[in-house]
Amino acid sequence: MELLAIFISAILINNFVLHYFLGICPFLGVSKKIDSAVSMGLAVTFVMTITAIVSWIINHWILLPFNLEYLQIVSFILIIASLVQLVEMFIRKSSPPLYQALGIYLPLITTNCAIMGLALLAALKNYNFVETVIFGVGSGVGFTLAIVLMAGIREQLDLADVPEPLKGAGIALIVAGIMALGFFGFSGMIK
Amino acid sequence: MSLSSRMVIVLTAVGIISGGLLSTVGILTRARIEANRLREIEEAIITVVPGAKTNTKIYEEKDFTVYTTRNDQGQIQGFAIYTAGTGFQDKIVLMFGTDAEINKIFRLTILDQKETPGLGAKITDKEAFLKYWENKDCSHPLMLKKPPVAQEELGASEVNAITGATISSEAVLATVNASLAKLRSLIQAGTIQIEENNGQ
Amino acid sequence: MASKPLSQEFTKGLWGENPIFRQLLGMCPTLAVTNAVINGIAMSLATSFVLIFSSLVVASIKKLIPSQVRIASYIVVIASFVTMADRFLAAFFPPISKNLGPYIPLIVVNCIILGRQEAFSSKNSVGRSLIDAFGMSLGFTLALLVLSSIREILGTGTWLGHQVLGSWFEPWIIMILPPGAFLTLGILLGIIILIDQKLQRSK
Repeated sequence: MELLAIFISAILINNFVLHYFLGICPFLGVSKKIDSAVSMGLAVTFVMTITAIVSWIINHWILLPFNLEYLQIVSFILIIASLVQLVEMFIRKSSPPLYQALGIYLPLITTNCAIMGLALLAALKNYNFVETVIFGVGSGVGFTLAIVLMAGIREQLDLADVPEPLKGAGIALIVAGIMALGFFGFSGMIK
Repeated sequence: MSLSSRMVIVLTAVGIISGGLLSTVGILTRARIEANRLREIEEAIITVVPGAKTNTKIYEEKDFTVYTTRNDQGQIQGFAIYTAGTGFQDKIVLMFGTDAEINKIFRLTILDQKETPGLGAKITDKEAFLKYWENKDCSHPLMLKKPPVAQEELGASEVNAITGATISSEAVLATVNASLAKLRSLIQAGTIQIEENNGQ
Repeated sequence: MASKPLSQEFTKGLWGENPIFRQLLGMCPTLAVTNAVINGIAMSLATSFVLIFSSLVVASIKKLIPSQVRIASYIVVIASFVTMADRFLAAFFPPISKNLGPYIPLIVVNCIILGRQEAFSSKNSVGRSLIDAFGMSLGFTLALLVLSSIREILGTGTWLGHQVLGSWFEPWIIMILPPGAFLTLGILLGIIILIDQKLQRSK
């Protein structure tokens, strides 16, 4: 029950993009087409899940037992950077079709604050191992949901008559604001 | 020097220098950060159990910590319970104090919350919410009064809800009731024992 | 590019290449912490500290670093300064540190900082890099100040905690909630492009 609450809350209530403002760069940058938005979402979900696992292990087996919590930021960012590299190499070797789909998005993920945010938030919320993994998967799904919805709206928006100065990032942010307002309606559904 | 050995040397040097700097900063700030955290708990205990002089942590699990408090004569006054529950947006972290028989809640304070500003966030407001929790009978589960009434008209175990923020009010109520039940069962099971006034 | 006068190196960060309004970098902290002016100021100071010192270090050691490991080295340098800022706030300003939560550690992935190292400090002299870093920091601060002022005034009727709008004003709570952040920044971007177009036409 607790786990389900964490999962749903990560997707709908405390959505990474619309509530924590994490991963805004890819959210605005890669949301022009639904296809690429889906691929980006999948890549992020994949990396988030692995990051959740690895960062928990590092945090609870190395940093906390040896009182090294001040190395948290450095170690998390290095883990994420090397993890993304490893995942990229692994996918390229093992599954060329998957690499075709996700390849160009993986390097972009290193500087994606959503991944770092996930590692930090999981540590901050003091989740145990299973909760951290569920939180990672849920956050990834939430990110995917937000970016795919956004891409769907933006594909339609191309046909709309948007005022010249708002074209591009301006209107995308306003749409995101209205989406965030919609998602706000999910608050309070978990008791 | 070959390129790869230069790469290794540079990375090692950067790592060692930053590691050294950070451990210095880490050690210099650790005591203060820890003291800040303890002071926050200490202040909360004094708020929820008026007149508490000393406190002892007697039980701890995730999101549920129990302290006993003593007054300046060293007599046990009751418990301060640190706990958390799910609110409208995120966790609500709170602390409340009871007497030793767990029949009365002295006071309640909210330590951390991310409820809607202007609505659910009023749970931190004394006039709108917290004052209704003072000296409540908690021998039975507490109940929420909705819509709110004047303070005199509230029953001994009733507290007012915040208009427009029922979910946040209910979340606090449910968290307190659950913690009371948990504390009682822990005492009954003998996991928590109160040593009678042997303070002095 | 290196022959630009120093004053331009500084002012470009304020308007022409403003990191937030023009380059759309570092959006996460911009949106997340601007619900109150005090949080915006704290975030600007912390980010400026990290940006200025990282630029100083990177510009000083750029010749020693082989280009294959430069990103890794920059990240370690940045992460070290972020940790210092984070620990300092937690030790001396616990309420601010609590308010900003994970967003101080997240400065490490703020694209402005790594972006300036890669695009500027790794190619320019120490002095020039410092001026660039100061300009960008000021531009970032300016953007956060504008955004947080709009949101706090409309959202609560206060500025830096002082009441500025009378009791007739019913606060627009949405402004300090997440949707308000997106809407304000979106509209602000539109206004800035509009001003820019007017300026160019009048030239």
